[in-house]
Amino acid sequence: MQNAKDSFYLALRTRLVGINPERTILLRAVLRPGILVEEAEAPFAQLPTDVFVLRWLGLGVDQDLPSEMVAAECEVLYSTLGTQSFGGLDRGRALAEMDSELVGMLTPFWTPKLNYAVQPAAAMLSNVFWDEPVFGAVTAVRDRLSRTARVVVYSYEEGGELAGGWGN
Amino acid sequence: MAAGSFLAPAPVVRRVRGYFAPVNRGVGAPVIFDPAELGRFSLDAPPAPWVSLGWIRNFARKAASKTTPIMAGIPAAVLEQTRETLDAHVSFQFLSWTKLTMGLAAGSQHMNLLVPVAGSAGQDSARGDGGTAVPAVVIQSGATATFLPLAAADAAGFSAGQIVAVDVDYAGQTGFVGSPVSGAYVKAPLTDVDYVRRVTFNVATVATVATSGAVGLTLADALPGGVPAAGMKVQAVAGFVDREGGSFFQEWSALFVMEGAQGERIFFHYPRLQSLGSAAETATALAGKQGGSQHGSLERVMLAGEFRALPVTDPLDGERVVCYRSFLPGANAVI
Repeated sequence: MQNAKDSFYLALRTRLVGINPERTILLRAVLRPGILVEEAEAPFAQLPTDVFVLRWLGLGVDQDLPSEMVAAECEVLYSTLGTQSFGGLDRGRALAEMDSELVGMLTPFWTPKLNYAVQPAAAMLSNVFWDEPVFGAVTAVRDRLSRTARVVVYSYEEGGELAGGWGN
Repeated sequence: MAAGSFLAPAPVVRRVRGYFAPVNRGVGAPVIFDPAELGRFSLDAPPAPWVSLGWIRNFARKAASKTTPIMAGIPAAVLEQTRETLDAHVSFQFLSWTKLTMGLAAGSQHMNLLVPVAGSAGQDSARGDGGTAVPAVVIQSGATATFLPLAAADAAGFSAGQIVAVDVDYAGQTGFVGSPVSGAYVKAPLTDVDYVRRVTFNVATVATVATSGAVGLTLADALPGGVPAAGMKVQAVAGFVDREGGSFFQEWSALFVMEGAQGERIFFHYPRLQSLGSAAETATALAGKQGGSQHGSLERVMLAGEFRALPVTDPLDGERVVCYRSFLPGANAVI
């Protein structure tokens, strides 16, 4: 499943660069596209604003199929304060822009599955695919607007993955 | 399982896309889709003469063929079986209202409401399918599928955003009329010179109107019939109308595509489809994706279509068939 999670994240990150190259984050002294996986970073006291944070939640496995299908629920969290130049009065617009960017990143609803544990990344045999996002309501804490969206990401376990994975 | 391949489970698809191609009613020639040659076409750019009908919903096909056992022996047992009737139905809902989708789902003749002459409402000429129309104007030489050169005075009579119908004057002919799709079958000569433009599928939306320079109409989309033929005229359209009743059945070649998450494709190709039911709509409540409980009273009205598949003779072996189902596996999938 890790290959599917990695492929999903990298697909979204690549698409974000095409949609809005200005959305970046300086993380561990490196300027990166403004999307990260929460479990792959040091714990945050408060999630950074104006970037997308992927948080993996539920997991399900269908073992009745010719190839096991794994469904992992991904929560995408994002928030904004707006911009300083507008005194934060544009925070609604900024959040709407992130809503639109997320829809764009999730389209099309599939990406080739790659193994990023090797260098260079190795193409696998199947695709990772997902459903349409379900957006949550906006929450406002003082001048911070936040939203979450949930996506179920599906993938098939391939032969090489099963050995150290789900078993038979 | 060989390295470099995997056992692909049943396809997972999100939606179904429909495509239309005209049947030449005069000679009874449908358009045949070859999945081996064309199966990997871009869903947004189908190969000619296929035209996208957009995404469709609740696609359901039902084989209505009947088989009969041939009994032999005492006690009688099934010796073999034979196909007694060949029949199949298809139903679905269109997610868009266009001239084409309305025309196919109408179940009968579908017509353009030509813009009437001023003051015709309430007059003797008023009809349920449009009264006396503003006269058609001549298309000048040099027309293309997206540009209709007109005389400056004629061009001034059109406006951007308007729909126009492009076809020939009716001149008393009988049989199938309309281009590129037969829009009606005329059993006896009529008197309306605009009749062909009332039933034609050769319609488009005007993007811009130029009354100087290159005078004419630039269309937002290419005319379905391509470059207008000699003698075709253009007339403004206010909307569309179809009737419950009548004797005409629209016939078309249909292609439905399901694209799976692994890149596999399932095709359902019906060379000949005719309307089975009458014009009908299906309304569904607009439910927000946010999962809220407040749905309000807004409804989306979709065109509901039900069709009967007619047979063609497969030249491969002379068998009569009504549908071809094709499957193009995804890459690396073991079959």
